[in-house]
Amino acid sequence: MTSSILHTPYPIPQSLYIHIPFCKRKCNYCDFVSYAGKEELIDEYVEALCNEINSPPCQSETNPPPSLFKRGGKEGGEFSTIYFGGGTPTLLKPEHYERLLGFLKMIIIFKKETEISMESNPGTINLDYLKEIRSLGINRLSIGVQSFNDVHLKTLGRIHNSKEAVQAYKDARAAGFENMNLDLMYALPGQTLEEWRTDLRQALSLNPEHLSIYNLQVEENTPFWNIFKTYIPQTSYPLPNEETELAMYEFTIKTLTDAGYHHYEISNFAKPGFECKHNINYWKNGNYIGFGAAAHSHLNGKRWANPDSLEEYIGSGSVVRNVEHPTSIDSSRATDRQDSIFLGLRLLEGLPKAKFAGFEKEIGELMRDGLLEEKNSNYKLTRQGLFLGNLVFEKFV
Amino acid sequence: MLSKIRNFSIIAHIDHGKSTLADRLLEYTHTVEKREMRAQVLDTMELERERGITIKAQAIRMEYKGHILNLIDTPGHVDFSYEVSRSLAACEGALLIVDATQGIEAQTLANANLARQNKLVIIPIINKVDLPAAEPERIKEEIEKVFGAKPAEILLASAKEGIGIPEILEAIIERIPPPQGEVDSPLQALIFDSHYDAFRGVIAYLRVFNGRIRAGLKIRLMGVGEEFEVQEVGTLKLGLVPKNELAAGEVGYLIAGIKEVKQCRVGDTVTDAKNPAPHPLAGYKPIKPMVFCGFYPLAGEDFENLKDAVAKLQLNDAALHFEPETSAALGFGLRCGFLGLLHLEIVQERLEREFNLNIIATAPNAIYKVNLHDKTHTYVDNPSLMPPQAKIESIEEPYLKLTLFTPAEFVGPVMDLAIEKRGTFVNMEYLDPKRVMLVFEIPLAEIISEFHDLLKSVTRGYASMDYELVGYRPADLVKMDILLNQEPVDALSVIVPREQAHYRGKRLVEKLKEAIPRQQFQIPVQASIGSKVVARENISAIRKDVLQKCYGGDITRKRKLLEKQKAGKRRMKMIGRVEVPQEAFLAVLRMGK
Repeated sequence: MTSSILHTPYPIPQSLYIHIPFCKRKCNYCDFVSYAGKEELIDEYVEALCNEINSPPCQSETNPPPSLFKRGGKEGGEFSTIYFGGGTPTLLKPEHYERLLGFLKMIIIFKKETEISMESNPGTINLDYLKEIRSLGINRLSIGVQSFNDVHLKTLGRIHNSKEAVQAYKDARAAGFENMNLDLMYALPGQTLEEWRTDLRQALSLNPEHLSIYNLQVEENTPFWNIFKTYIPQTSYPLPNEETELAMYEFTIKTLTDAGYHHYEISNFAKPGFECKHNINYWKNGNYIGFGAAAHSHLNGKRWANPDSLEEYIGSGSVVRNVEHPTSIDSSRATDRQDSIFLGLRLLEGLPKAKFAGFEKEIGELMRDGLLEEKNSNYKLTRQGLFLGNLVFEKFV
Repeated sequence: MLSKIRNFSIIAHIDHGKSTLADRLLEYTHTVEKREMRAQVLDTMELERERGITIKAQAIRMEYKGHILNLIDTPGHVDFSYEVSRSLAACEGALLIVDATQGIEAQTLANANLARQNKLVIIPIINKVDLPAAEPERIKEEIEKVFGAKPAEILLASAKEGIGIPEILEAIIERIPPPQGEVDSPLQALIFDSHYDAFRGVIAYLRVFNGRIRAGLKIRLMGVGEEFEVQEVGTLKLGLVPKNELAAGEVGYLIAGIKEVKQCRVGDTVTDAKNPAPHPLAGYKPIKPMVFCGFYPLAGEDFENLKDAVAKLQLNDAALHFEPETSAALGFGLRCGFLGLLHLEIVQERLEREFNLNIIATAPNAIYKVNLHDKTHTYVDNPSLMPPQAKIESIEEPYLKLTLFTPAEFVGPVMDLAIEKRGTFVNMEYLDPKRVMLVFEIPLAEIISEFHDLLKSVTRGYASMDYELVGYRPADLVKMDILLNQEPVDALSVIVPREQAHYRGKRLVEKLKEAIPRQQFQIPVQASIGSKVVARENISAIRKDVLQKCYGGDITRKRKLLEKQKAGKRRMKMIGRVEVPQEAFLAVLRMGK
């Protein structure tokens, strides 16, 4: 096992992900690894990140040496993307990013077209902050708006209101961001179809380059789970039913497509040319390295993850990223191929028929049931398949 | 020699402490040393230990104060009452255990009646007297009233704490008579249990009544009429202890190259082939299954494996019947016959656990006697094979005598339940002001479904029941078919009373709607009698089911969700285009009250 990477040409990591697991407070629906009230650990955490970026990850033979990243930068062409996700990345100070980017510059070459994204929370940013991070090279900003309806924002447990979200967007434009995403959610507790239409129209009126539109999902270990998935629902704001969810989704697709957005992934819409390269790399099951607590990596068919706990991550000093690390996640060739299919099918263009070798029976059934179709030598989800994606994906795991 | 032998059983309602008492007796007589004691030595099957019940009888020989005490263990469940009766026939006495906190329950009475029919001396023992909730005085009165025991005869014990054990052993020696029998008469030995051993063939457990048996003897099994040559006899400790011979009065085992337990039926009489006894011992009857269901492999290619597995279980379980059957909906399968529901569940669980098979079991049903217009009759053990209505003169179904014990406060609800389930009231008797015995006659079909669960729920767990078959009674029954997505599913057909057909059809389609997960398209579920649809529900289509974000590169969690969803579907059977889980086949049993 240890030799499989060693004896193949080093893969080129397309993307780097840096996880910032701090929040002012946890939202009621969120099950990502992030901690509220631990901001005093930010400095130490940034140091640990720098350490991890800087530490030669080749203490194990199975990991590529740091020079790889540089080489990838030079020779890979399309390389690379950097993504600061959270949590709430905008809880860190610009100086923190100055330091982090300094370390990153030591291992990769930044090009003009390198997509460097950052997620932001409208309740944590202002014009000065945005100007500073823009000047550091962050060129794509994603704003976690979620909703423009203050009642729903409150239900979700967000720390901002709709006015602040609009202001944040305007400030970002003023700060020079020319590639912007808004995150929105629908099927919120008590939300009507009409309320969602209003939300979506308001988002469109801001004219962002990119929109990520998610159906709220109630995950385990969140306050929403206790409210909505326990035996006796404890709320007078029930979740919209499936018919309403479907209508919201259909409205979204129609409205955004009519407005000139490219619906390129189940939940993602972009003006042509502004599709998110970083996320496309995930869906194409490409190579990426994650830094920070709970960050996941995928390199040449292997997956691994850093520890979830902040303290454990910080305490590990220079983290030896190692596919044989206890937190590594085994991923066989067959599994990786399956991952490629179910991830790839999320993209509306689908993926090449050749990738489906051995799944002829499943393809036959899915085409019979009208969930999959053939187009331009690809298999792709039909419109019905888009709504019932899980019935398609499960066939390939 | 005979005067030093005591053959006895322990009988009790479930959980009254039979197995624990057996363990204490073995320890006290040093038959098993404490260090080799697994809790409840006599329950050897893994399932038995898990469920805390004794399924197969066994025997063990103890020595105490110059006496040989043969303990013959009995199965503790009503499904196996014939085997209990045969075990008791091998004894002269029985210890009757009654829980000091609960009193006489249904199986206490049923087992005591079997013991009395076999003319055994009964030693009543009130167990668990150490518990704070123990009411030994009240229980004593119950025992006096129900069994006519004298207060002085009733022993107090706590098997768990080792209280009263020497007194019990003394009572066995003093009160239970030694076996009678003539060593020089022709051989008569009763088979009270047997099991199949992969190396040695069938090992039969027997009690010799007359004559003697030794290796080399040619024997005949009088009931099945087959002859074998004895290879080995011996007595039973924790293992087999070979011995030259077993003589009248003794209990032991027999190995004679018998290939299947079917050839060596419990209750049969062993005799000397050359010098046979004039008649067999009384009471042998071949066991007939009472409850039937179909077993179908989830994956069609597993059919041969299923057949082999059931055949293997049958080697050791003469009461298990099976024959191949074909269902239009489910493909190739087996129709299996069982002594009762517990027997069925045990077999199903063993197939899944020990043979790693994924199977669908159709809803269990009784066997119906169908009288046809042409004056012939037929027995129907599969509802889908019920002859067309036009050919049927009448249908008869098996009835049970059902004995219920309940606290007096629940008499009303218990009456309502039994009558709703087509029971006819026979008798009611107060054991004391707080406890009542009720007797009904009721169709077996009603007991097969959720009767026991409903009884427990209306009495908050305080009632117990026992039953015995009393024969076939005419009944106005019809076959109800189920259609899924417009296609009839033969494996879901049920036999129902005509007057309840609409109600049951309605409940059944409701339950099926709950049990069958929504799929990509709408699925109509219909119940029909003949060509007339009596009830209909729609399982609505899934409209939207798609994973939302795949974020931060953590693919594994999303993958697990998909795997979980897929694993659930692997447990389902594809019928036409509809995926049907096992629960759907049991929906017919879960009608509610």
